[in-house]
Parts: sequence; C-alpha cells; structure tokens
Amino acid sequence: MVTAMKESRGDKLFLISTYVYLCLALVVVLYPLIYILSASISSPQDVNSGAMWLFPKNVTLDGYKLVFENPKIWNGYLNTIIYTVLGTLLNLAVTLPASYALSRSDFVGRNLFMGIILFTMFFSGGLVPTYLLVKNLGLINSMGALILPVAASVWNIVVARTFFQTTIPKELQEAAHIDGCTNLKLFIRIILPLSAPIVAVMALFYGVGHWNSYFPSLIYLNDEAKYPLQMVLRQILVLQEMSAETTGAAINGEVAVAMNNKAETASLIKYGVIVVSTLPIVAVYPFLQRYFVQGVMIGSVKG
Amino acid sequence: MQTTRKPWKLLLSSAMILALLAGCGSGNSNEGASDSGAAGTEAAANKEGFPIVNEPVTLTMMAPDVGIQNWENMAVLQEMQKLTGITMEFQNAPKDSFETKKNLVFASGDYPDIFYAAGLTTAEQMNYGEQGILLPLEDLIDEYAPNFKALLEENPDVRKSITAPDGHIYSLPVVELSQHWYRNPMWYNGDFLKALNIEKLPETTEELYTYLKRVKEEDPNGNGIADEIPISSVTTTAANLRDIRTWLLGAFGVYEEEIYVDDNDVVHYTPLEEGFKEYLTYMNRLWSEELLDHESFSQTAEQKKAKAQENRVALFSDWHAYMTKGGEPSTEDPMFAPVRSESVAAPAIAKNRGITTGAFAISESNPNPEASIRWVDYLYSYEGATFFNKGPEGILWEYTDEANRVKQYLPVPDGKEMEDYRATLTPNYGIPAPTLSMDDINKGLKTDFDLWVEQETQQKLLDKGARIPFPALFLTVEEQTEISSLNSDLSTYVKQMEAKFITGAEPLSGWDNYVATVKKMGGERVAEINQAAYDRWKAN
Amino acid sequence: MKGSKALGSGNPSLKKNTLGKRIWKNWELYLFMLPALLYFFIFHYGPMYGIQIAFKNFVPSKGITGSEWVGFDHFERFFNSYFFWDLLWNTFSISFYELAIGFPLPIILALAFNEVRNGPFKKTVQTVTYAPHFISVVVMAGMIITFLSPSIGMIVRVIEFLGFQPAQFLTDPAWFKTVYVFSGVWQSTGWGTIIYLAALSGVDPQLHEAAIVDGASRIKRVLHINLPTIIPTITIMLILNMGNILGLGFEKILLLQNSLNMEASDVISTYVYRAGLVNAQYSFSTAVGLFNSAVNVILLVTVNRIAKRTSENSLW
Repeated sequence: MVTAMKESRGDKLFLISTYVYLCLALVVVLYPLIYILSASISSPQDVNSGAMWLFPKNVTLDGYKLVFENPKIWNGYLNTIIYTVLGTLLNLAVTLPASYALSRSDFVGRNLFMGIILFTMFFSGGLVPTYLLVKNLGLINSMGALILPVAASVWNIVVARTFFQTTIPKELQEAAHIDGCTNLKLFIRIILPLSAPIVAVMALFYGVGHWNSYFPSLIYLNDEAKYPLQMVLRQILVLQEMSAETTGAAINGEVAVAMNNKAETASLIKYGVIVVSTLPIVAVYPFLQRYFVQGVMIGSVKG
Repeated sequence: MQTTRKPWKLLLSSAMILALLAGCGSGNSNEGASDSGAAGTEAAANKEGFPIVNEPVTLTMMAPDVGIQNWENMAVLQEMQKLTGITMEFQNAPKDSFETKKNLVFASGDYPDIFYAAGLTTAEQMNYGEQGILLPLEDLIDEYAPNFKALLEENPDVRKSITAPDGHIYSLPVVELSQHWYRNPMWYNGDFLKALNIEKLPETTEELYTYLKRVKEEDPNGNGIADEIPISSVTTTAANLRDIRTWLLGAFGVYEEEIYVDDNDVVHYTPLEEGFKEYLTYMNRLWSEELLDHESFSQTAEQKKAKAQENRVALFSDWHAYMTKGGEPSTEDPMFAPVRSESVAAPAIAKNRGITTGAFAISESNPNPEASIRWVDYLYSYEGATFFNKGPEGILWEYTDEANRVKQYLPVPDGKEMEDYRATLTPNYGIPAPTLSMDDINKGLKTDFDLWVEQETQQKLLDKGARIPFPALFLTVEEQTEISSLNSDLSTYVKQMEAKFITGAEPLSGWDNYVATVKKMGGERVAEINQAAYDRWKAN
Repeated sequence: MKGSKALGSGNPSLKKNTLGKRIWKNWELYLFMLPALLYFFIFHYGPMYGIQIAFKNFVPSKGITGSEWVGFDHFERFFNSYFFWDLLWNTFSISFYELAIGFPLPIILALAFNEVRNGPFKKTVQTVTYAPHFISVVVMAGMIITFLSPSIGMIVRVIEFLGFQPAQFLTDPAWFKTVYVFSGVWQSTGWGTIIYLAALSGVDPQLHEAAIVDGASRIKRVLHINLPTIIPTITIMLILNMGNILGLGFEKILLLQNSLNMEASDVISTYVYRAGLVNAQYSFSTAVGLFNSAVNVILLVTVNRIAKRTSENSLW
C-alpha cells in the first residue's frame, strides 16, 4: 500500500529497513537455489569435492540429457497437468462450499460437522484399508484413485473457513438475505467473486499437492502410460540411488559396475530432476500474486 | 462450479454403497482367489523339453522393476514365451517401492500367480506358506525341476537354508556360489604404497597402524600438503562404518558385526564380545590420531569418492578400487589382506553365504504350478542362466567354442554402455532374480582385471580361511517377532555407543556399563534365539 | 426459493425461531456441506476400522478383522522401549523449537511484503522465497550435509573466514536441532507467507486512509491495522500446528541422522520407521500413530480452549 501522502522520516526509516530485510531474505534464499542450478550442469566430481560452490564448473548437460532422453517424460508432464487441473477443480468444488457453510455462525450444527472433519485429521484407518476401499470402488489403475481419495483436506477447509469468517462482513449476508437472495446465489454471485485471494490460495495449495504427489500413483497405478511426472522421475532416480546400496555388497559384479556408472551421473540427475519438476510450478506463482494485494475485494463491498 | 459438481456427486454416492460393502471385511476376497486357483489345474505341463505346455497358458507375474525397459519388450522374456508356450503378464512395481506394493497385494487377496525376484523374507514365507497362500514346492521340485533338484543334491546346505521349520520349501533362492565377498573388499591406494616403498602389505594391526601413520605424516601423494586421509568410511541412512567394520572386526577374531558362529558351533552376539571391545580400542586409537577420517560419521559416498579422486585416501572400501579412485580398472591397487591382532592367531574372514532366499514363489491362485516350476527351473541350468544373464546369443555375445562354453563379447549396438544395453534385454538386472550363477557363464568373457581380482580373492581371503559367518536359516514366527522387537532398540543403542567409543565421546572405561545395558536390553537373548535356530539347522 | 421466503418473513423475529426453522432457513448450506461430508465418510471413516490393527498382530493375508488380537502389546512395547523418554523429549523439543522460530517468521515476512510497492522487486523476492518449498527432502538433506561439511562446507568456510571456530554441525548432538529447524525455516518461510498474504488482502483500505489522516506512522498502521486483521488466521494456524506436534516427519531427520547425533535426532517417527524396516510392522506403527494422535488431540483441545477464552477465534 503506497499512498501519495508525504512520508515522515520514521516512515522512511521503517520502509528502508523493510527493504533491507527483504534483500537479506532474498540473498539467503537465493544462494542455495543458484547452487542447485549450477550443480545440475557441473561435473559431479566438482560438486562433490566442493570445487563448485556458486557458478557451474566444467559444464555438462548430461544430467538433463538423461532426463529428457527418457521417452516417458513428456507423457508424464501431460498426465501430471491433467491430474493437477482436474484434481484441483474437484478440491475447490468440495472445499469452498463446505468451508463457507462452516464459516456461517447461523449454520446449525457447524460444530458437529467441524468435529467430524477434525477427527479425521488425527485418526485414520491406515494404508491397507484405504487401499482395499479404493480397490473395491474399482478405482485401481484409474485417475479416480489419484484424485478422489484426496478430494479435500481438513487443514485447507479450516484455513478457508477462517478466511470467510474474517473477511466477509456479516452485514453483507444479512443484506443479501433481506434482498431475498438465496444462499446459493449469495455464494456464487457475491462471496466467491469477493474471495479471489482464498480461491487462489486453495488452488495453489491443492495444485502443488497434486503436482508433487507420487505415493498414490505408486500404489494405485499399474500402467506406466498413466504415470505422472513425479513417478517417471522417481524411476529415473531409482537406478541412480541404487549406488548407495553398494556399500552393503553381496550383489553381483556386473551390477556393481553398472551402479558405478550410474553413480557418476547420480548427483547431476538429482539436481536436474529438481529443476525439471519445479520450474513449471514455480513459474505459475507470479501470476497468482496479483490476488494477494491488499484491498482487492473489500472496496467493492463497501460501495 | 455447478457443472463440475453434479458428475462427482453421482460418482460419490455410488462410491459410498461400494464402500459400505467393502467394510464387511477383506476375508471374502481371499476365498474368491482360491476358487480360481482350483478351477484351472488341468492344464498339465510336459515333464521335459520345450514347449513346457502344449496349450498356451497365461500367468501373472509380480516383480520389482528398475524402470529401464518394459518387461514385455525384453528379448529374453519374449523368446522365453516362444520357447515355453507360457505367456507372462507382468505386474511390476518400481524397485524402491516394491515392498509396499507387495504387502498391499497380500492384503488385498489378489495374488499374482508368480512372485519373481520378490525378496520374500523368511517371515513372509512362513506366514503365507502356513496359510496356503504360497504353495509348498518340494514335490514340484522333485517332479518338474531336474536342474534345481540336481543343485540341491550337490549342495545340501542350500536345501537346509531354504526349508522352512515346517519342512516345506516355499521359495527358490538366488544361488551365487562364485560370489565370495561378504562385503565389498577394502583396497589400498597403490600410488601411496609405491611412494612409501611398501614391499609387503601389513599383516598385523600394528603394521597396519604404522603404515597408516606413515601415510599421514610422509605425504605420499607428494603435493606438499598433509591432506592424506589414511582410512575413509561413509554414512548411509543410520548406518555408519558398515563398509569397513567387518574387515577390521576380523582382526580381533570376530566374523560378523552382529551374529556369528564359532568353530565349536557356539553362536556369538558381537556387541558383547571381548573382540568387539578390542576393535573399539583400536578404532579409537585410529580416530584420535586422525588416521580414520573424521568425516566418516557424516559424509556421503560421493564425498568420499571425491576425496579419493583427489588422490588423498590410502585405504577404502568399494566393489573395485577404480570405482572410488576413478580412472580405468587397474591391478596396481591391491586388495586389503585381512590383518590380525596379537590376541588371535589368524584373522576371522567372512565369506558370502552365496544364497538369498525368497527369489521365486508360486501362489495358490496359480492355475498351473507344474508349468511355472518348469519355467523357473530353466534358469538354474547353464543354458537358462546364461540366457537370463547375458541375453540371447548374437546380441551382446557369441560362442567361439560352444562345446567348451567359451564366448566373446560383440560390439554393443548403438554405442551404448554394455550394462545399460543388457538391462533392456533381460529382467535380471539389479534385482534378486532366481538363478544360478556359475563360472561357465563368463567363460572367455573375463578380462585380465577380472582374473586378477579372482586371484586376489583366492589368495587373500579364501586361502586364508574365509568362511560363512552364519548360515541362512529360518527362525520360527515367535523367534522372529522376539528378535525384531529386541533388535529395534539394541541395534540403535549399539551403533550409538560404537560411534561414541570410537570418537572418544564415551571413554572405554564405560565398557562395563555398556555391556550391562546391552544385557539388560536382551543382547544375550538374541544369541540364545539364534543358537536354537542354528542347532535346528545343523541337525537337519 | 421457499427457504428464502421463510427467511425474509422470519428474519425480524429471529430469536423466536425454533431449531427446526433455523435449520430450514439455511437448508442450502447442508447441501454445501454434503460433498465434503460424503468424502470424509467414504474415504476417512470408511477405512477407520483399520485402527484396530494397533491391538492386533496384523498379517496382510489374514485381513484386518482376521488377524490375531493382542490387546495393548504394541503400546507396551513402545512405552517400555529403552529410548521412549528420549524419543518423546526429542520429538517435543524439535517441534516446539520449530514452532518458536518457524511460526513467527512467515508472518513478519508477509507483513514486510505488504509494505513494499508492487513491482518486479516484490515479485522476485516473493517467487524466490517460495521456490525452496519444492526442493525434495533428499536433495535438501544432501545440500545441508554439503554446506556444513567440515572440509568443504560453504557455511563452515564463511564461519572460519569470520574468524570463529566452526562447530561440528553434523555430528554434535547439541547442534542437530538447530540445523534441522533453521534449514526448515529456510525452506518453508516463503511458502508460509501465502496464507497471511491472502488474509492481508482483506485489510480495509479505508482504515488506512483514516489512520493516515490522523497522522499515524507506517509502523503504527502495520501494528494496529494489518496485524489485527490477520490475528484470527494466526490463531487458527497456531492451533492447527499445536495439533500436529507429534507428527514430525521422518524423512529429513532420517537423512540427517548419524550414530553420533542420534541422541538428539531420534524421534518417534524415525524410530517407527526403523522398526518397520526390520519387518513390515503395520501393527506397531499404527499403535504408535494412535498414541501420537491421542497426545495431539489433547494438545489441540487444550490450545483451542485457551484461544476461545482469550479471543474470539477458535476452531469450534
């Protein structure tokens, strides 16, 4: 928030220290990020010996070549995008109405519902019964297994509810009701448009969750053509990480030689994979930032 | 909003009905599976020759996968299908998550017909064998597995080790009788030996100490800086010193880091042994004089390699020396010959058991166990083992003298790494697949370096009395449960104290307290249980 | 439509409304709840019968109902573990340490973001601080080990350059918790700001304008307008975090753990992980999980009660 008002010296000092603080945060966070980028294109020997500490050394693109030579990678990207988009839409459709309902103090039984939902945050049946359920629903090896069992998260419902509770003025609801507006209309026509920031946050939280998720695909998918990006990358990494096991020995010689070859590129790939899987989702963030600007909504309410 | 809401509301309500049904219990699904097993038994298998079945048979196979090639497209498996008439449908799970998936498969009641390279633990074999989920194989072996039967007759120990306490065999093993190493060997850096004019490798712990001290002080890499690291070890997840421990323990008469049996059939629990104390004392001495890398408890394998590649490490563990040191395979870096302390006449040297159980099993739902066992039996013959190990003749290798089984390698297609290419041909890559590895498979294919390594192994380990520290054997379900619950605390405590004793965080005067604690935690009980199991094994 | 009519006429005399009327008035809200309730009943309450394996010796093929009942054996084994009190202490202390450092920082950062003019600088800082959230645990742990390595670590070199004697960050038990917490702060502070930024968007600009007219300084406006606006969110986040105290994940700790720092780094989840490695011990880990949940529920309820008494914000 910047106003055209003339600022006092104290304000200036405060603003300057804010900028200094942010610059400091920027540097501290940026260094390891640059390190990852550099490590993904430097020779593994230089990375492991500490010779590469900021800028790339003995540049090699082998790591990226290995990742992108894998024929499954593009299919993995496509699958991940599909799962993320559809999964997030489902998440929003379940989460937003429920958290709005729970935010209403005149909603009879909301504490009961809240209790029902909160209980699941602590107690769960565990992997095996969940797997059996998904199997009995006939969802094995389908997209349903990836998005239905995670259709909502307690944490996000609570966060969204808090947002509705604190930012939607009660008077608004009362006014709407007196105008004869139904709850459905109120929610769709008024509440949602006013709540762009929380919709953006929820989309981001759920979307990132889908983007990064691999465990459901690991246990529910059998068909490699349906693997999301994270699974494909994991498959690439499995081989590389097997080299770590060789400290245990008692494998056969040819495998040891193979593992050794893989170990050479292991660190390259490790960092490259991070870049490959993260860049798209990091790139989305700046577009969402415009929803996080102070006052984007309230102005329209008061008017 | 509305358009997305309707479809899944429908979906969810039908889902709920199914869910309620699912809640009724998972026992039912098992019965369904056993029915299908009983139904199709009539598709008999030929007793010998190929094809194995006259009518095409389709079986499902569950196996871990390293993600290089789809199994349907592997040349070995395609030819195997033509040869045997058995079509396999593969249910693969990535190797690192195979355990999880395996457990879910057992829980869900939808068993594959065959478990391949599944690494079934002895506990799993007993549990699922007792319940009839895994079929007992001993009769099938007698009738349909001539190769494996011959193997058992030649090696009675193998039969002992794969037979469960109830007398049944529920799984076939990986047999690698020509792989002798218990852990990766340790190797001396040959450059340092030369620089310090070492004619004869150290034979005692004192000589080893003297050598390491000289490395530290005399700048064998000649760069003018005292940056040499006499011994370096690495840390993997909650496991320290594992790469060097066994070799140094041997100097004090201890064969293995946890359980071993001595020549009088007495089972020992290492952390309570006097030899373990001597080992700790020695290691503490190496540590305090900085002869043992002070980063050994925190560094990764990559960091150790980076140090070795700067030519700074004198003694280290790896499969071959060049893998740590970098460069080409070289006979200049000799294998570490186990040393002995003053308290023993000869070092204890551990040798690989050579078998890993749980590699192949048949489930109750398998419609044709006879054909299945004949299929896998081929892998225990010379032809089958070669086929699964090296791929079909004419791709990676060819015979120069077929009668004597002498082979030579062919140029690798597409200029790839041979191992990478091999991984696209055969499933037996990086997984514990059922097979028999024998010297003949590699006849003619060995390089001079391979032969040199064999010779080093023979002279420094096998001729010096290397033996199996503790046989592969079965514990009963009760024993297994007790051991695992004792071990989860014990091994943590022991590892922690080992590190403290070595680094001096805990003085060796604390040994008696340590022993008392280990005993309180049930260390002696661990030895007892294993003793009982060993006695049973011995008596068989 | 019917509901809205009843609502319109009944509104002035709201107090006289019977329970039934109050429910009827908002009948659509129950429809709003329905998908979420269906989801939680099917996918969470449906499998809930699995909890009983904490009291059984679960063998996958025997099924959950068919496995043998052993009562509190697994709980006893956990409570009788030699390390039980160490585990509990480490878990609590790491969690609270993390909360003490990691909880306020995103709030401060979000407030700072809010003061800065919109533009490339703000966008860059925001995006950069958010990015570390996506670094996998394995790479994260690898970088921590590299940066803190006594021989090659950047951080160690900087400390030496400044003329101090660097500590044994990786192996000294006294340092483990700090390394764990601060690397976590590095990774998640930027991500943590998102919630607060969204909450800050709800600040009423008119309040600021009025305050400026009154001559309030920037810092005063932040403390008296912006901060109070996000207090409800802060409270709720704190309550939720308290309800997750024993739920400390195992992956990063496991990767940073070694025999030397074990006494400070072994927590409940790593202990369970190791127990499970020996033998897929579903029952044991479920039992420990149940214990965690019980403690967490107690904490959550307690904190929620305190929050309810001292402010208007609470979960229920």
